[in-house]
Amino acid sequence: MISLRNIWIVAERDLRTFLNFKFMLIMRAIWFLAQIALFGVIVNKMLKPDVELAIGTSYFNFYAAGIIITLLYSTTVFIGYDIYEEADHGVIEYLLSLPISRKELVLGRSIGGGLRSSLYVSPMLLFVLYLIGVTNPLQFLVAFVSLFLFAFGVAGFSITLAVSIKSSDKFDILLGVVNALIVRLSTTLYPTVYMPQYYAAIAQFNPLTFAADLFRWGAGIESAVLTPPISAALGIVLFFSFFTFLGIILHERRLEGGGWH
Amino acid sequence: MLSMSLADLFIMAVVYTRMVNPEFFEDYFLFFSPGITMTALFAAAFMIGREINMEIRREISHYMLSLPIKRWELAFGRVLAGGLRGMVYMTPLLLTTLLVTFVLANNAPSLWQMLVIVLALFLVSVGTSGASITLALSTTSFEKYVTARGVVYYLLFFCSTVFYPLTLIQSVMPQPFAIIAQYNPLSCGADLARSFLLGYPPLEPVMLLDLVIFALIFASLAMFAYMKIVQK
Repeated sequence: MISLRNIWIVAERDLRTFLNFKFMLIMRAIWFLAQIALFGVIVNKMLKPDVELAIGTSYFNFYAAGIIITLLYSTTVFIGYDIYEEADHGVIEYLLSLPISRKELVLGRSIGGGLRSSLYVSPMLLFVLYLIGVTNPLQFLVAFVSLFLFAFGVAGFSITLAVSIKSSDKFDILLGVVNALIVRLSTTLYPTVYMPQYYAAIAQFNPLTFAADLFRWGAGIESAVLTPPISAALGIVLFFSFFTFLGIILHERRLEGGGWH
Repeated sequence: MLSMSLADLFIMAVVYTRMVNPEFFEDYFLFFSPGITMTALFAAAFMIGREINMEIRREISHYMLSLPIKRWELAFGRVLAGGLRGMVYMTPLLLTTLLVTFVLANNAPSLWQMLVIVLALFLVSVGTSGASITLALSTTSFEKYVTARGVVYYLLFFCSTVFYPLTLIQSVMPQPFAIIAQYNPLSCGADLARSFLLGYPPLEPVMLLDLVIFALIFASLAMFAYMKIVQK
C-alpha cells in the first residue's frame, strides 16, 4: 500500500535540496532573460515574413513559449545529478534504510523533482504569459496541469537514466548528448514545417514538442503547424506514465547493492 | 559541450537556414559555421574562472603558494592554461568548420590565413580566460560571482555576431548593445574567420587589433589580480 504522506516527505526533501544548486539556478535565470531579450528579439527580425503566418503569431512569442519548456526540462533533469551526489556521500543507503517503500521513494522523487523545477520556472512562465497575453484562462489551466505531468515525467526519465547507468561520468556524457538532441529536435525553437523530413519525423514524437505546443495552445497561440492539443496532452500522459513506471521498476531492482561510480 | 555545439550546427542552423530572410544571409548554415567554433572556444576558456573562484573560497591557493614556482609564473600559467583549454576544445569544431566551408563554399584558407585565424582564436581564448579569472577574483561571494559571470557570459555570447550579422543587431537593438556587439571579441573573432573562410564581411585590421587589446588587457588584469589575491 502506497502512503501519500511518505511520498510527500520524499518530495519535500527534494524541494529543500534544490536550493543547494544556486549556481545552476542563477545561471539558468540569466540564460532565460538573455534568450528572450537578446536572441529572441534579434532572431524575430531575421526570419522570412511567412514564418509568422505559419506559426500564427510573432516568432518572438513562439520562441518565448518554447524557451520556458526548455528551461523546465533542463532544471528538472538535474535530479539525476542529485542521485549521484547522494551515491557519492552514501545518502542512498541511508534513504534505503528509511521506513519508506521503494515505490514511494521513486514516486516522491519524481514528484519532488518535477515540482521543484515547476516552482522555479513559475515566475518566468508568468512573465512569458504576460508578454504573450493569455486569451482563455481555462485553456491555459489545462496546459499548465499538463506541464506538471511533463515535469514529473522528465524527473522520472532522469532518475531512470541515473539508476540504469550508475556511473556519473557516463551519465554526464549521455545526458549531455540527450539534452543537446532533445531540445533541438523538438518544436521548442522552431516548428516542424521548417525542419528537414528526417528531423521532423523525430520531433513530432518528442515529449518537448508535446509540452511546447500544448503550452502555446494554452497561451492562445493556435496554428495548424502545432501538434493538436489532445495529441500533445496524450503524449505527455504517456511520457509521464512510462518513465514513472520504468523508474519504479528500475529503482526497485538496481538501487540496492551499491555499484555506483 | 561538443555534442551541444555540433547539434547547434547540424540541427539548429540547418533549420534556421530554411527560416531566415535571404535578405540577410546567402546561406545561414555557412554563416553560422565559423560562429560555432567561437562559441565552443569561449565556453571552454570561460570555465577556468569558476575553478579559480572555488580555489580562492576554499583557500586551495595557499597550497599553490607553497609550490616552488614564482608568483608571476603561477599567475601567467593559470591564464595561459585557461586559454589553451579553449584551443584544445575548439580544435575539432574548427576542423568541422573548415570541412563545411570547403565542401559547401569550395573555399580553403591559405597557410597564412590559417595562421591568422589560429592566432585570432588564441587571442580570444587567452582574453576570455583572463576576463573569466578577473571576474572570479572580483568577489569572494559565490552568489555575486555567479550572477556577474552569468551576465557577462550571456551578454558576450548573445550580443555578438556569432548568430546574426552586425547590421541586423544595429537595426534591432538599442545603441549600447550594438556597440558591445561591434567590439565584442567574439564578433571580431567570428567575423575575421568568416572573412577568410567565406569572403565576408571584409577583413579589417581593427578586428585583429581589437583582439590583441582584449587579450592584453584581460590577461594582464587577471595576472595582477591573481598575484594579489593569492597572497592575501
